[in-house]
Amino acid sequence: MNVTAANSFFNIPYWMGSGNIVSNLVGIVLYLVVVSITFSIFGYTVGWLERKIIARVQNRHGPTYVGMWGLLQNLADLVKLLAKEDVIPANADRMLFSASLPLLLALSIFIILLIPYSPTLQATNLGFGLLIIFTIMSFFPLLIFTAAFSSGNKFAEISAQRSVLVLLGYEIPILLVIAAIAAMSGGYNLSSIVGMQAGLHYLAFLMPIGFIIFYISMLAEFERPPFDLREADSELIAGWLTDVSAPSYALALFLDYARMFLGSVIMAILFFGGWNGPAFIPPFFMLVIKALLISFSIIIVRATTFRMRMDRALRLGWVFLIPLSLINIVITYLLFVK
Amino acid sequence: MKIERENLMSTVSRMKSEGFDYLIKITAVDYADHIDAIYLLRNFESSKDEVIEVSLDPSDLWLPTVINIHKSADWYERELSEMFGIEIKGRHAPRLLLEKWDGTEFPLRKSFTWGAQYKTKDEIK
Amino acid sequence: MSIVRINVGPVHPSTHGVIRLVVDVDGDTVVNIEPHIGMLHRGVEKLAETRMYMQIPPYTEKLDYMAPMSYDEAYVATVEAAMNITVSERAQYVRVILLELQRIASHLLSVGFFCNDLGQMFTGFMWAFKDRDIILDLLQEAAGSRMFYVNMRLGGLREDLPADFEDHVLQTMNYMEKRIPEYVNYLEKNPVFIERTKGVGVLTREDAKQLGVTGPVLRASGVNYDVRRNNPYYVYSKLQFTPKVLQEGDNFARYKVRMLEIQESIRLIRSAIKLLPEGDAKGLPIKLRSPNPVNRISIVNRELPRGECMMYLVADPQKPYRLSIRSPNFINLAAINHLAKGGRFADLFSTLGSLDLVMGCVDR
Repeated sequence: MNVTAANSFFNIPYWMGSGNIVSNLVGIVLYLVVVSITFSIFGYTVGWLERKIIARVQNRHGPTYVGMWGLLQNLADLVKLLAKEDVIPANADRMLFSASLPLLLALSIFIILLIPYSPTLQATNLGFGLLIIFTIMSFFPLLIFTAAFSSGNKFAEISAQRSVLVLLGYEIPILLVIAAIAAMSGGYNLSSIVGMQAGLHYLAFLMPIGFIIFYISMLAEFERPPFDLREADSELIAGWLTDVSAPSYALALFLDYARMFLGSVIMAILFFGGWNGPAFIPPFFMLVIKALLISFSIIIVRATTFRMRMDRALRLGWVFLIPLSLINIVITYLLFVK
Repeated sequence: MKIERENLMSTVSRMKSEGFDYLIKITAVDYADHIDAIYLLRNFESSKDEVIEVSLDPSDLWLPTVINIHKSADWYERELSEMFGIEIKGRHAPRLLLEKWDGTEFPLRKSFTWGAQYKTKDEIK
Repeated sequence: MSIVRINVGPVHPSTHGVIRLVVDVDGDTVVNIEPHIGMLHRGVEKLAETRMYMQIPPYTEKLDYMAPMSYDEAYVATVEAAMNITVSERAQYVRVILLELQRIASHLLSVGFFCNDLGQMFTGFMWAFKDRDIILDLLQEAAGSRMFYVNMRLGGLREDLPADFEDHVLQTMNYMEKRIPEYVNYLEKNPVFIERTKGVGVLTREDAKQLGVTGPVLRASGVNYDVRRNNPYYVYSKLQFTPKVLQEGDNFARYKVRMLEIQESIRLIRSAIKLLPEGDAKGLPIKLRSPNPVNRISIVNRELPRGECMMYLVADPQKPYRLSIRSPNFINLAAINHLAKGGRFADLFSTLGSLDLVMGCVDR
């Protein structure tokens, strides 16, 4: 593969491939600042929104004391959690146990860097971006498995088994839906997938079956109810987090919202046209608004539904979602590709 | 209905075939000179309750199990043997039902006393 | 796969108090459950032997802290039976109203907890809790306290009902009647709820009799027995009470029986208020010396929200010689091994929730 071919395949952005060092550095710093601020604010706001919305569904008020409308409650909780001792259980594998959670967060951040946020705000524009995102994402259940097994807790052990089963049941439908999307756009490049959805040609409308499969599988992938089988608090106490003490638990909570951010941004890009929208809204904000709306729907699902049983959840994955996603590929091929 | 200990199992199973197929409770009362074990049975069809009393001598405290006739007797019999020290013969009790208990004293016997006992006016006199 | 032994409790999110279950799990299937009880044992039966008759209601009330009024009444009724005290006509009606209000409050809580055990994010629980609070407001109006009432006296109540109480009750019943369909829609139209409850933890009619379960659990298995109909006390026979019986015997049936009983209780309260006679509902005040018992042994059955309670009282002058309490939760819990064995690990907790246990009542 020669250099130009490699360049076009990796599609290295102009400010990284060429230009002087100063403008490169400024670009990198700007990008990091914008993305990390967005990511943190988004995570924090969704965390607050989740508490508020669920409280309203349940005829409660939610946090009200700390800050305006309880906005600073999560910060107060974070301070409390970080102030506590980090205990590692005696029969845990110290290294694996303490490494898994930071590794999970690092992987999430890695994915965050692979996502394009607007035509200009993107770290890289890989030709196989979509594929690599989901390759990394399929490491999550494995890392959760490691974290759970290394903690040496029996509840965590059950949770570990469940996480692997979820991996088996729901990774395949996700990849099959992605295959359909790739067939439609002619590649795994996220920018071109967004470009394809200009106007109101959102994939959620063009490929409704695929969208529903993807939404359900993402809920399972990120352990949102009704698939919170790994963290099933009424059965497994906290599942793989049972033996995790306060500071690491704060990390796990942050990870929860990081993954929610990831999931909703990816869904917005793949199915709701990414940054496409009315001209008066900047593309970047358009994407964030769409991601917020998707997060809202995930929160509402959490507030109303019951937890599925493991065997039923697997049945849903294997018996319904996989055949449906195969049908989805065929329909997509017949309607749009051929 | 007062019966002898020897007739207990036959009476309970006879009553079960007569329709008293629900065991409400097994309990006991310590009357100092004897201990009464009380079996309460119910007939759902006629909604009638029947009380069976078995009088036991404190020096010879044991009862045959009725667990083969009424499964619900399981926990009641275990509670009885822990609270009154009545040995239940013919069954397997895996462990104590109510825990933290050394099994040397029997709390619901009248001989079991503790600390300050409340006395009524008549008793003080 | 090898069998894993898991220790659930005494501190666990869904054990409803301090109970410890030692569960043997083969993969996701429950092989054996060994309940360890006795962590809330307070020796109420022994304490009762050392207290005077009317000093005991506060103890019996705290057995079932989710429906204290019912236990209060069951004990006082036993003492009344021992002393041959008749309850005035009005007091009978008032007691029925208060007991049925307590039953609604207790069943609402049970339905709410059941949602929680099915892994819901507290939504059903909070709804039920809020509606229960409205009922508790009424009980507070009548008894002066929200949680533990000690409201029953020999032959009547501590105080007659306050003015306007009937109107408040009727208003609340109108509200409740609107709320119940909301619960039913919310729960029974949810496919996951149906999937998780129907056919889970099945208890057949014969097994239910064999295991001696009581109350809603017994009626959900098709045994048509309710003390209020078969052995009616107070004015239940005048109010045309019909027990709610379902045949399935699964978790859904147990939930449904409670839901139907709430509706039946609303109807009972309405008709009791319609028939409520004038008069005095006040009972004997608590004195240092209570009337002497006439009957040596008295047995009283009562239908509590969680099942049938039976009190066996051997009476001495001034204080009980022996008070034996048949707790409905004790025998319902004994059935858990039969119910959840062979089921999924997740269903163990919903089955436990469907039995609606209060550990204070189990351990006594």
